[in-house]
Amino acid sequence: MIRESRLYRVLRYAFLIMACIFVIVPIIPLVFMAFKTGSEYSSTSVLVPPQNWLNFYNFKYALRVGNLGKALFNTAVILAVSLSIQLLLTTMVSYVLHRFEFRGRKIIYTLFALTMFIPVVTTQTVVFQIVYRMGLVNKMPSVILLYSGVNIVGIYIMFNQLGSIPKELDESALIDGASYYRIFGSIILPLMKPACTTLLIINGIGYYNDFYIPNLYLRKNIQTFTVALHKFFGNTATPFEIVAAAILLGIVPIMIVFLFLQRYIFYGLAGAVKS
Amino acid sequence: MVKTRKTKIFIFTFLFIPVIHLLVFSYIPIITNIYLSFTNYNGVNPPKWVGLRNYERLFTDPQYIKLFRNCLWYMLVAVPQLIFAFVLAVFVNGKFRGINFFKGILIIPYLLNGVIISTIFIIFFNNSGTLNSILRAIGLGGLAQQWLHNLRLVNPSIASISIWRYYGLNFLMFFGGLQAIPAELYEAAAIDGCTKLQEIRYISIPSIVHILFINVLLSISGSIQVFEIPYIMMNGANGTATPVIQIQQSAFAEGRVGFAAALSILVFIIVVIAVSLQKVFDKRGDISQ
Repeated sequence: MIRESRLYRVLRYAFLIMACIFVIVPIIPLVFMAFKTGSEYSSTSVLVPPQNWLNFYNFKYALRVGNLGKALFNTAVILAVSLSIQLLLTTMVSYVLHRFEFRGRKIIYTLFALTMFIPVVTTQTVVFQIVYRMGLVNKMPSVILLYSGVNIVGIYIMFNQLGSIPKELDESALIDGASYYRIFGSIILPLMKPACTTLLIINGIGYYNDFYIPNLYLRKNIQTFTVALHKFFGNTATPFEIVAAAILLGIVPIMIVFLFLQRYIFYGLAGAVKS
Repeated sequence: MVKTRKTKIFIFTFLFIPVIHLLVFSYIPIITNIYLSFTNYNGVNPPKWVGLRNYERLFTDPQYIKLFRNCLWYMLVAVPQLIFAFVLAVFVNGKFRGINFFKGILIIPYLLNGVIISTIFIIFFNNSGTLNSILRAIGLGGLAQQWLHNLRLVNPSIASISIWRYYGLNFLMFFGGLQAIPAELYEAAAIDGCTKLQEIRYISIPSIVHILFINVLLSISGSIQVFEIPYIMMNGANGTATPVIQIQQSAFAEGRVGFAAALSILVFIIVVIAVSLQKVFDKRGDISQ
């Protein structure tokens, strides 16, 4: 390793501390605001901390009025179902495309690869009509259906892992009389766990934070977390310190997940980039 | 080549659902959209062919040209965003005290959704908000502005939020690239008496220059698809509408599906160009390795 000079180390810390300030400063007033009373909010600067850090009135109010708990539950259901389906389908497609030579293999692979060129936002005029005719608009399965598809990033990640699983393993199981379904289920799938974790994290964060699709398809009755927050935010009758509390509550779940998965997020994402 | 019937059935069962999903939700819609872009379809009556009229409006009506002009601000802020992310990746790559603390803080914006970020930056840009308060506190009150209500400032202001929101993703990609550089390269350089600055100049930068290029094109394709921040913060008002906001408005509020389709196709074409360039460059990067 090259020795890092003293100057370099000082520079590093100076830059990183500045970067952290850049990240934290916009968030601080939100935290302050969430603990302020209504009159305190209108009379004090956003940079002034709240008088009472134990004032949880805004949080209680937000939870009662905003339907946030229910929306969080809906999001959890949508994520659990669609990520499970997507994971299963992605591993299936990747296994077949990686291990078998058959007519049409190239075409199918290319079809998946070319979806990179088709952003979701450019197809919704038509997709909406399709989902509408299926009778799924304003119902949870609409979003689940759209989230469950296989995407090319997933296939790349799986291919990377499949490349490290020796083909002899499949072949010897085949000689022992196992069916392909069996080989996939009891040999390949367990060995693909790391790739599955990476895909779960990438798409889990993406879908949890997605606003575009649920905002389009779930306009009534059922709301996801982002849509519920948006409704809350868009309602001008809601005092802003309550909105701040709701938003802060919105940050909590993802931070908890992050604390548990920090290692995976960092190396999973960095690893996905590498591949 | 696969011959047995059993294997064929296996392949078919594993591919059937994903391929149908792919066709129904990606290929059929984009092809239908190309057709609809030449019609006056309103979502109810059968579509009628109008030729290039939708495209003509897009290219001549200043209201719609502005949509794409707004995207330029988002492309512009990608420059400081990428520089910031790159320097950050270089500094974080290594072993030092507090590395996990810094990583934990720096990744926060990447984890937040568009509604949360919009709220944070409404507070930030408000008249008596964070930015103006800080300016006044440090004696630069003269620079305080109505950031979101000044028609000249509103677009650069909300576009700059992208820096805060997305640098984390660029940072992760650069960081991944730096981590992939073989340790022997650094060791050899150390033996040759290479300084840290030389290491960055001659090892780090050349190794991830293709990742930089991919990030530039990702930023271009992302800029053309901007939706959440201007939609949630401004509802597209004060001249902040973007092509995707307009697609949603035209298709779902005004029932001008044909026009929305034309706009979608235009966005699609720009993305195709950006992603193709990225692929071309990516291939070259592979060969050189």
